[in-house]
Amino acid sequence: MKKIELDFDRPRALQADGPPERRGLERDEVRLLVSTENGHEHARFRDLPRFLAPGTLLVVNTSATLPASLPAWHAGLGPILANVSTQYGGGLHLVELRKSASEPGPLPVEVGDAFEIAGLPARLIAPHPGLPRLWFVRVESDLRRVMERAGSPIRYGYLEAPYPAIEEYQTLFARDPGSAEMPSAGRPFTQRVVDALRAKGIALAGITLHAGVSSHEVEAEAVEDQVLYAEPFEVPKATAEAVTAARQEGRPVVAVGTTVVRALESAWDGERVRPAAGFTRLMIHPGRPVKTADGLITGLHDPLASHLALLYSIAPKERVREGYAEAVREGYLWHEFGDSHLLLTRAVPAERPAA
Amino acid sequence: MNRTAIITGASRGLGRTVAEFLAAQGYGLVITARGEEDLQAAARSLRRHGGQVIALAGDVTDPDHRRRLADAARGLGRLDILFNNASTLGATPLPPLAGYPLAELEEAFLVNVSAPLALIQEVLPLLEESGGLIVNISSDAARGGYPGWGGYGITKAALDLASLTLANELSGRWIGVVTVDPGDLRTRMHQEAFPGEDISDRPLPEVTLPFWAWLFGQPPAAVTGQRYQAQSERWEVNASALEAVAV
Repeated sequence: MKKIELDFDRPRALQADGPPERRGLERDEVRLLVSTENGHEHARFRDLPRFLAPGTLLVVNTSATLPASLPAWHAGLGPILANVSTQYGGGLHLVELRKSASEPGPLPVEVGDAFEIAGLPARLIAPHPGLPRLWFVRVESDLRRVMERAGSPIRYGYLEAPYPAIEEYQTLFARDPGSAEMPSAGRPFTQRVVDALRAKGIALAGITLHAGVSSHEVEAEAVEDQVLYAEPFEVPKATAEAVTAARQEGRPVVAVGTTVVRALESAWDGERVRPAAGFTRLMIHPGRPVKTADGLITGLHDPLASHLALLYSIAPKERVREGYAEAVREGYLWHEFGDSHLLLTRAVPAERPAA
Repeated sequence: MNRTAIITGASRGLGRTVAEFLAAQGYGLVITARGEEDLQAAARSLRRHGGQVIALAGDVTDPDHRRRLADAARGLGRLDILFNNASTLGATPLPPLAGYPLAELEEAFLVNVSAPLALIQEVLPLLEESGGLIVNISSDAARGGYPGWGGYGITKAALDLASLTLANELSGRWIGVVTVDPGDLRTRMHQEAFPGEDISDRPLPEVTLPFWAWLFGQPPAAVTGQRYQAQSERWEVNASALEAVAV
């Protein structure tokens, strides 16, 4: 698949510059675009249960978001930002160094450079192969504790002050701290939505995938060649069994977030989803179709984002692109605090009781 | 006390890359390779990171040399990683098994199977004291049955089985044993397997760094017995570690 197939026009204005609560909306009052083989519908997120059949299994990401952006100081560069993407163990972390929230790297740094993260000694060990803005960094101290004291949520230039607090980044399902950036597909869920889903016979199960810093645009001309960095994931036994049972019984499995699709696909052994834990850098694209899910709830992704290739393997590319054209026309908002998209492989079930 | 590693075949290719990665993190290193000059050049480069580097040129099939390597690690005070990387392709250009020179097959067994096992035997007590990890470098030739790769592949298959057996025998003790297939890399060894061919499409050994970063961050019990592909799209801990995580 060519990079150009991930491109589309999205007016700059169509981006959420803060949480919907600041726009006078509840979390579950963001818009919901529903794309199926019968076309596209527009709703509010709290209408979600209307579009899912009883027996559906929703799989959510239970990762909680860390205040992973830390002030840093480099002798040659002065004050910089260290956005901590992934903890590797043994004092080693994958870190994105940048000048500021709105000025990305790569910065002119070298292997062996000593610098400070929140006043603590740190050292550049090696650049990540193929992704020169990301560095392996060694820090003797426990960066989680440093984050509690000195960290703030990673943010980018499109957010407006006052900037959201870490609590505003936690989803209803957040339980295991570890994500550098919010697994944002789960953010519109509220207790009343979950209650309505359960009342309709829709079950929820959890995986964990600790999302790293945002991947940039796909750079490789062939999407399949794009380098991804690995992220920690775990598919617990109960979830593996629930997904396998749903597949065998023909009940739909809907992933809440691209992270969930990547975790489930990483645990798929050709016949079933098994319990699994480790690091994954699985790249999903139409040449590597999704076997574990029939649908996806996700935000709206930027032009050239690798996530779009994943969307194209949940539903045909034309349907996704049509949906995005509608979203632009209807003024949907992009980014982590923006609107939501339910993408189903098949039609919405015919049985449609009133919400 | 700084963590330490023994790395064989450390003067170039994958061994050199892993040595640089560990040295940059402050590991003390004992490195070896047969050629004195290349090894000392590697040592000078590694010492720029400020840590201790002991470079001992020699042949891993020599028992005295292996003893010297173990003694050097003992002198550093502990041992966290034994990186069994030194290998021979056996006869080159790669002959089919039907006509394989048996003397060279025996030599390949000595270098690729007996020597790493002997080095493991030599440093096992040191590794156990620090809860260390044994990494045996394998190859997809151990499983592929690729024509021409039989001699080398047989030795790597034997090393795979040695690793798994050791992992089982040592389970419950604080030692991990893994084999790693690094995948095709642009190294001198790979070039010798494809004499005269252009191998510039293969990635440099640095492509495997994310895997080593992950592996060396895991507790030995979580990975022992596994066979990893350093360039694959996922690396998993073993099932017993997963149960432990779930509880």
